[in-house]
Amino acid sequence: MTIIDLTPGEVGTINGIKGDRHLQNRLVELGLLPGTEVRLVKCTPFNGPVEIKVRDSYLSIRRDDAKLVELK
Amino acid sequence: MKKSHFVEPKPKAIDPSKWVALVGNPNCGKTAIFNLLTGLNQKVSNYPGITVEKKVGKVYTQEKTFFNLLDLPGTYSLSAESFDEQIVSDQVVSWAKGEDPPSVIVSVVDASNLSRNLYLTTQLLDLDIPVIVALNMMDRLEDVSHIDIKKLERELGVSAVIPISAKMNWGLDDLKKAIQKPIKTREQVDHQSQWIKQELSHQFKSLIDSKFLSSKFAAAQALRRISRNGSINGEDTKIESIRNSISELGYYIETLEATLRYEWIDGIMPLVQPKIKPKIHKETRSERWDQILTHSWMGPGIFMVILYFIFQSIFTWAAVPMDWIQAGIDNISIFVLSNLAPGMLRDILVEGIIGGVGAIVIFLPQILILSFFLTVLEDTGYMARVAFMLDKSMTKMGLHGKSILPLMSGYACAIPGIMSARTIDSWKERLVTILILPLMSCSARLPVYTLLISAFIPPITVGGYFNLQGLTLVVMYFLGTVTALILAKIFSRFIKEKSSSSFVMELPPYRVPIARSVIRQVFIRGKLFMVNAGKIIMAISIVLWFLASFPKVDASVTDVNPIHHSYAGKIGHAMEPVIRPLGFDWKIGIGLLTSFAAREVMVSTLATIYNVEDRGDETVNLREAMQNDVDEKTGKPVYTPLIALALMVFYVFAAQCMATFAIVRQETNSWKWPIFMITYLTILAYTCAFIVYRGGLFLGFS
Ligand SMILES: Nc1nc2c(ncn2[C@@H]2O[C@H](COP(=O)(O)OP(=O)(O)O)[C@@H](O)[C@H]2O)c(=O)[nH]1
Repeated sequence: MTIIDLTPGEVGTINGIKGDRHLQNRLVELGLLPGTEVRLVKCTPFNGPVEIKVRDSYLSIRRDDAKLVELK
Repeated sequence: MKKSHFVEPKPKAIDPSKWVALVGNPNCGKTAIFNLLTGLNQKVSNYPGITVEKKVGKVYTQEKTFFNLLDLPGTYSLSAESFDEQIVSDQVVSWAKGEDPPSVIVSVVDASNLSRNLYLTTQLLDLDIPVIVALNMMDRLEDVSHIDIKKLERELGVSAVIPISAKMNWGLDDLKKAIQKPIKTREQVDHQSQWIKQELSHQFKSLIDSKFLSSKFAAAQALRRISRNGSINGEDTKIESIRNSISELGYYIETLEATLRYEWIDGIMPLVQPKIKPKIHKETRSERWDQILTHSWMGPGIFMVILYFIFQSIFTWAAVPMDWIQAGIDNISIFVLSNLAPGMLRDILVEGIIGGVGAIVIFLPQILILSFFLTVLEDTGYMARVAFMLDKSMTKMGLHGKSILPLMSGYACAIPGIMSARTIDSWKERLVTILILPLMSCSARLPVYTLLISAFIPPITVGGYFNLQGLTLVVMYFLGTVTALILAKIFSRFIKEKSSSSFVMELPPYRVPIARSVIRQVFIRGKLFMVNAGKIIMAISIVLWFLASFPKVDASVTDVNPIHHSYAGKIGHAMEPVIRPLGFDWKIGIGLLTSFAAREVMVSTLATIYNVEDRGDETVNLREAMQNDVDEKTGKPVYTPLIALALMVFYVFAAQCMATFAIVRQETNSWKWPIFMITYLTILAYTCAFIVYRGGLFLGFS
């Protein structure tokens, strides 16, 4: 299960991040650690980026990148 | 000054006359704090070799002393992902080697987003330079007591934690006092080198770069390089074995640094914020605003309305102050004319300087209005939402959600636009954005359009609603923008990708901008425009006046206007064979040449030429002079609506602003891209103007 599988408003817990080193590093630096809770806030039409809430911030990440964030 | 590994440097006392660095996450309020501390005592320059604004200011203290404050670009971490962040990490690395380090680092932290902001602070602490945490945005907390300041100070081991609010302007005096106090570095918590020492000390030691004064920083830096798999002195096998040991310990090498630091931060959070429960479900006010502002169809609609409003206001609101400025310029030339004896000085003043500079100052209102709107949109947090909403469409065009702001700034001036493309983390999309930016019709083209439209396009109504003059202007903007998007698509096909593109962007909470901050920003933009444009234009106006006025020919000897025999006339005539096919004459030729300095110079060039040619005393009305200009041989008008149209189309595309290419050279760090840019723009301009002029003639227009 990944972030994309949440319905908007639903909360999940991060299990790990796949993908290339840059993306992993960036996301972890922004606080997306295994065990951290994340909420899917909003999706944009035509498979555009999604908005998520992690810790106290709202982030926009591309849909393909969001698919790499695995949830427990 | 080399230090051996793992020897803690002695505590240093600070000398307040040394300098202080301001570091923080994007949107933590760093700019606001910098402005409050330095007031107007700031100097904006560039870092050597790169066009990143380096802002240094003087901060005066109650004791009438001062210290220098350096503002660094906002960054989330010292392991750089974008160009902007690279600057900060390069700076920090040089401090770590003892190259002019600051005496104190002020780490600005957004109190409403504590754990994420503290990540960077823990990285700065490795340097063993005293760190003061400026805990900003305290006004945004529901209750100030939610953060235990003393505990935070102790846990982090920083010199001080000072709660402040840049918005309410409180706490800044405390911050100043804390900076001045000689500070001892405390017993600092060791966030990861402790861990490394325990787990990997033997293997790790050989990878430590002894150039770093702080062993903690050296360890962290080695770790960063291992996780990038970069070889340190070609010791690949060692790195390989360290990577193996790390994964045996159950850690993920790619994200090891961040994981260790966050584990530590998350460990202290319950102590520091005892009353705060995790509130991931809580819907903030910004989120409720976003239900409308980033709604899937209302959102883009609202953005269109805002855009329309901005452009409308640039043209309508600016008209009044522009009239004042024009009146002022007229008065000045009348004043000079009536108070100075005729002669060369008066000529050069009226025909050269006042005519030339006046033609430019008139755009100041438009530049100020556009910068005002862009600053407000940026500071409220709205611009990030626009990037979020339009990312998909922009990617389809080969661009990036974050290309929106640079492209919009491009309507004011390509230079700040090109510079703001730095925030795009993917090199390819950043390059494409830069390459197409000169096609966004900048405000320097406006005077050319305005002059030609008012002189040659009749103010008639077409299609029942549209004023033909206004419509022509819109078409010019449209032509540039659409071509830009098409070319973006084409360029992105052919440019090889150097880095993968990701789009992780923070959507900061909506905030009411701080008025003082906005005003300062707009003021700085205006000042830069006046100083830069002013300098170039003044110089060109004088040189041009000289070229157009000399060599003096005795008017009684020849019946042609002496300007034909001037140096400028000769240059222009020499250009004619090339530009004749587009319908342009020698006067425009000179204008095209001088436009290389800046496009708006075209207008002042024509003004200067007609003023010199006129030989009368009054400054001529350029519009009428152009309308009435007839060919001395054929008696036909020199300029027709068709020529004016071809000229405008030429200006939509032409590569003319040298400053733009200088910036592109610096931002792309190569000559290849500015040369490519000049080439493609020139071909495009010539071809399109040719098609418009020849096509128009063929269809029977004139
Ligand atoms: N409520 C509140 N807003 C602030 C404070 N400091 C800055 N801001 C706002 O936060 C936004 C970002 O501030 P800015 O100084 O541009 O941040 P920078 O990106 O770190 O330079 C702006 O809209 C500021 O008006 C503060 O102490 N309280």
